[in-house]
Amino acid sequence: MKKRLLSFIAFSLILLSGCSGDGKVTDSDLALLKTTNPPAVLIDKNTRGNMDLVENIEHDVEKMKELYDVAVVKSNGDTLVAYKVKHLQRFHMKKIEKKMTKMLEEKYPDENFIVSSDYKIFIEAVELQEKMKDPDFTDNKAKKKLDKIIKLKNEMT
Amino acid sequence: MSKKTKTPEQQQYEKLEQKHELKRPVLKNCIRAFWVGGLICVVGQAITYFYIYFFNFTEQTAGNPTVATMIFISMLLTGFGVYDRLGQFGGAGSAVPVTGFGNAVISAAIEHRTEGFVLGVGGNMFKLAGSVILFGVFSAFVVALIKTLLIIWGVI
Repeated sequence: MKKRLLSFIAFSLILLSGCSGDGKVTDSDLALLKTTNPPAVLIDKNTRGNMDLVENIEHDVEKMKELYDVAVVKSNGDTLVAYKVKHLQRFHMKKIEKKMTKMLEEKYPDENFIVSSDYKIFIEAVELQEKMKDPDFTDNKAKKKLDKIIKLKNEMT
Repeated sequence: MSKKTKTPEQQQYEKLEQKHELKRPVLKNCIRAFWVGGLICVVGQAITYFYIYFFNFTEQTAGNPTVATMIFISMLLTGFGVYDRLGQFGGAGSAVPVTGFGNAVISAAIEHRTEGFVLGVGGNMFKLAGSVILFGVFSAFVVALIKTLLIIWGVI
């Protein structure tokens, strides 16, 4: 019995360690485990005003005490704000979302905000930010990816 | 029970019974249930993260496949005879999470296998799980009704 258990544990260990992949670990792989603090992403004309706007949005959101990690992606249509809520504050998730949407809409009335506290949305936003570093990754592709994220966010159970 | 006065023999027997009765280790059982139930939930959380990471599921939508996977795993474990041992050790900790549902289905199916596939397995498979489904659906209906009414009245 003991031998069988031991061999089962050994087998599962071997099986699990096979899953480590190509060894390249990016921020988006660890986004659930640690604070990534990704820089704001702009998928639009790279003007001074636009850049300042995204950074201001990120700063404003980061000021909220209940959060600890914020990712902002802005395209010419929508602005995605993904954030992680501190664990004990997760009880007030809905309230925080309401407060944030109100604050953002009052401060930036021209923008169309999509606000989400979902981990998946956060991971995808970090991934998008990583992909933007690649010069082959065109704005068009980025826009498509952002649309995909927004579609994912609006999906219901 | 009726409050009839007991005969002297009954009272004597009661005393004898109390002398021999084993004390139920309530605290120990609770701690065991806490650990086993918690462990099952940790596995469930890991599966949720697995679906979030490797598939297109959000936190909102990952719940359904997670439940299905957990039930499937517990069904397999029941068939292999592992879940019985877990249930013996953990008690309510293994019955209350959704895995207990899978266990209830398969253990009933195994038990009545000798009575044939239709009247045995088919007829008895949902003997215990049937009430879970019935009252689950009914309570979901009631909760949805309350929520709909609250939305209509503008409370939430």
